[in-house]
Amino acid sequence: MKLIKSIVRPNKVDDVREALEKLNVAGMTVTDVRGHGRQKGHTAVYRGKEYSVSLIPKVEIDVVVPNDIAEAVVTAIVESARTGEIGDGRVFVFPAEQGYNIRTGERDI
Amino acid sequence: MATTTDPVRHRPMTKEFRDSAAATLAAARDEYAAEARKGRGGRATVQRYADRMDGLVRTVVEAASDRTATPFVVCAVGGYGRRALCLHSDIDLLLVFDGIIAQPEERFVNAVLQPLWDLRLALGQHVRELAEFDASDTSNPEFLLCLLDLRFLAGDASLFERVAARVAEPPGPGAALEPLLTLIDQRHQQFNNTHYQLEPDIKQAPGGLRDIAAVRHLRALAPHAFDGVGIEAASDERLGEAEEFLLRIRSVLHLLGGRDVNLLTHELQEKVADAIGSTGTHPHQRVEALMGEYFLRARTVVRALASAERAVRPAGPPVPTRRIGRQFAINGEGVMFANPERAANQPSLWVDAFRVALDHGCRVSERALSLIEQNLERCTPDDFVSTEGERQQLRKLLVPRRRLYDRLSEMHDCGLLNRIFPEFAKVHCRVVRDFYHKYTVDEHTLLAIRGLESLLDPPTPGRRRFTSILQEVRAPELLTLALLFHDVGKWREADHAQESVRLAQSMLDRLELPDDERATVEFLIREHLQMSQVAFRRDSEDPHVAARFAELVGTEEHLKLLCLMTLADVGAVSPETLTPWKEDLLWRVYVETYNRLTLGYADQLLEKDPAGLAVLIAGRPADISEQELVTFLEGLPRRYLSTFGLGAVYRHVRLARDIHPDEVHTFLEKHDDVWELTLVTLDKPFLFSNISGVLSYFGMDIHRGQAMTTPHGLVLDVFEFTDDEAYLKQNAAATTEMSKMLEQAVAGSVDVTLLLRGRMRSVLHRVRHHRRPPVVHFDNEHSRRYTVLEIVADDAPGLLHRISRVISGQGCDVHLVLISTEGKRAIDVLHITRNGAKLPEADQAALAGELQHVLEAGE
Repeated sequence: MKLIKSIVRPNKVDDVREALEKLNVAGMTVTDVRGHGRQKGHTAVYRGKEYSVSLIPKVEIDVVVPNDIAEAVVTAIVESARTGEIGDGRVFVFPAEQGYNIRTGERDI
Repeated sequence: MATTTDPVRHRPMTKEFRDSAAATLAAARDEYAAEARKGRGGRATVQRYADRMDGLVRTVVEAASDRTATPFVVCAVGGYGRRALCLHSDIDLLLVFDGIIAQPEERFVNAVLQPLWDLRLALGQHVRELAEFDASDTSNPEFLLCLLDLRFLAGDASLFERVAARVAEPPGPGAALEPLLTLIDQRHQQFNNTHYQLEPDIKQAPGGLRDIAAVRHLRALAPHAFDGVGIEAASDERLGEAEEFLLRIRSVLHLLGGRDVNLLTHELQEKVADAIGSTGTHPHQRVEALMGEYFLRARTVVRALASAERAVRPAGPPVPTRRIGRQFAINGEGVMFANPERAANQPSLWVDAFRVALDHGCRVSERALSLIEQNLERCTPDDFVSTEGERQQLRKLLVPRRRLYDRLSEMHDCGLLNRIFPEFAKVHCRVVRDFYHKYTVDEHTLLAIRGLESLLDPPTPGRRRFTSILQEVRAPELLTLALLFHDVGKWREADHAQESVRLAQSMLDRLELPDDERATVEFLIREHLQMSQVAFRRDSEDPHVAARFAELVGTEEHLKLLCLMTLADVGAVSPETLTPWKEDLLWRVYVETYNRLTLGYADQLLEKDPAGLAVLIAGRPADISEQELVTFLEGLPRRYLSTFGLGAVYRHVRLARDIHPDEVHTFLEKHDDVWELTLVTLDKPFLFSNISGVLSYFGMDIHRGQAMTTPHGLVLDVFEFTDDEAYLKQNAAATTEMSKMLEQAVAGSVDVTLLLRGRMRSVLHRVRHHRRPPVVHFDNEHSRRYTVLEIVADDAPGLLHRISRVISGQGCDVHLVLISTEGKRAIDVLHITRNGAKLPEADQAALAGELQHVLEAGE
């Protein structure tokens, strides 16, 4: 199993979710986050004054999927979240060793 | 044979004994469940269950009593103590020994508790020696409070009398008063201090069972505080009815949940409604009936508790009654009517009572609220706004300020708000189920207004950004009005924004708002979801999305209002909805759109708006030909149509008619305290500087304005200013004199700088105050044709004249100007060129230096 953690633009969440649903990935955790990538934010001007926007609002989507579809899931996330502009986000893949259902206490991974 | 806690020398807890106890409990539960299932799990049922539980506990105590020789008493405390025992409530017990607790006593405690635990009862036990009651344990407020419902169950009755006497000794129960008030506050804060919860906690939420207990505790703890307050029998009866209703619900919840469940979730509402017999053909109607009754009952409880809290809170120094005008008086109770008989027949005074309360930072007294409530039935919405004075009074009431939410909630609770705005009554206690909203539609609306009010004391730097926007808007009461109506369309299942606009029409008619303000309120209601859509659901950095949104809002005033409305609306969904993350997204959209509207509007020409043009042409008066209109509009930005209504545009066309070089055509009018000067002339160097200089010469304080120049050299300037020195008011010939001076300034026959210099040197204008460094910023990105110069500086007489003089002095042409103020700061945006082109960086630097010098010198 793989834990796939992606950081995407807030407006791309629905697109990513739809793409994942097509791959039968049902469960996911969506979190509002703020951060920056290599470009370290940018500056904006309001009323003639420049201010730095160093931490940009993004959304983190976490899914745990079987190994055999992990690559397809990554591809689906990348394609659905891409605009081609700086700030599209990142995808990280981690091994998931074990998983438990809290209600039943059963191990399901 | 299986035994429990089996000290050799004592009677064992036999299987028979345990089976018998289990059977007793099962019978009691079956009896309870049967009643709860029929929706009859009210007070009689819970008391009967408490009685059954008493019997069970006594049996267990009796069986365990030979474990100790020390006198003991077992008491019921807390909810069990007051016999309010629901199916899966905790069994709160107090075990007290008249001696030291040693091994035998511990064995006794174990022998009492173990069988009860084996029956899977949830126990809350306190074990004490009598000596421990010598000093009240004020560090444990919950324990102090549970002792208020002390009740004898088993053991030594005389010991119980001594325990009760110790509990009553000083500081006694009174010590529980402050902790109780604190616990009430803390508990209510967890629910955002409102009882209008879509999924209420029947026990803990404001208006719930715990509040009913709190009312009774407060009355018991400080009986003297209620002397003269008068607890009406009817009020007590209503409290009892509320308790009965809430217990019936709670009983069903316990039955369905199989445990101590108190949350009336959407899922359970249908089942509860069926069980307690709420009326309605369809399930959703029965749920509405259930929740409607719930909110009514909860409100009764909240009011009773608020009244009790007011009675027991330590009174400050006595507040002498003082008169406020002829109609009102204020004392410790709040605003009173000076002449109640007269007030009963004068609805506009009721509205004014709330305005007075806001002005003086107090509440409206219970007596005044009762008077209003008793006389409401006779009034129609028109009775509150039948004169211009009354309409203005209502508007003033809606200006966002501290405690506006509290006063509007009082108005809502006493029925006044619904009477003034019957459209709002359509969403009274309205439940709309979704994943996000936590409150009824009416309470969500009032909480949104509270969100607006909270911007006056922003809790975080992030929120403070929005405070500055609120301080800039021209008529913030329109925002409150729009918020009041933004969700009234939710009374039915459809596009609620459109329905809200439809329902707002009669209100707008009654208030007789001017056309532009009416359009603003309609815009805000109709589009109140758009900004959150752009900020949270779309790519706000996509130029098309940003451009479309800027086009939708049209002007920065609309943008500011919509931004604040969105912030307030989102914040009122639930306490967790408006996160710093969302604030950031909203702010980014605001800044991006603001920059588009103020810096990037020059390239968006009216010619690209055929629909707008067609409306103008179709609606033109007979004296204006299509050709004249089209020629006038040529080269003007689209923003022009967003800013000015049809009437103003046609007036501008007429002003531009037959204009010749060095002539100026003006039109001056007054709206409330603000004057608006419209001026048309033909372009020439230093023109804008001279015109603004003349206004400053006459002492006019320019707050807003804009200037536009067409490719044909036609100049249209509109200034909004206040006449703080009352020059226009006090001099009959003032307007003529000002027009004459403007003509001279335009013709160049008077040196405006010289005129102004004399005035600036006068003592009156030598105002020294803390100055913040000015900001001068150039932008060559937003406009294809112009350099956009943004200047933010402390406002000062003649500022605009000095700025524009420097710009013209550097050989630059001023094409478009936007003037606005935020408190004491002036924000001016000028679109300029030199020799028909944008300014290169070197020229920008030179001009910036000159401007900084002039701005920092202050004259």
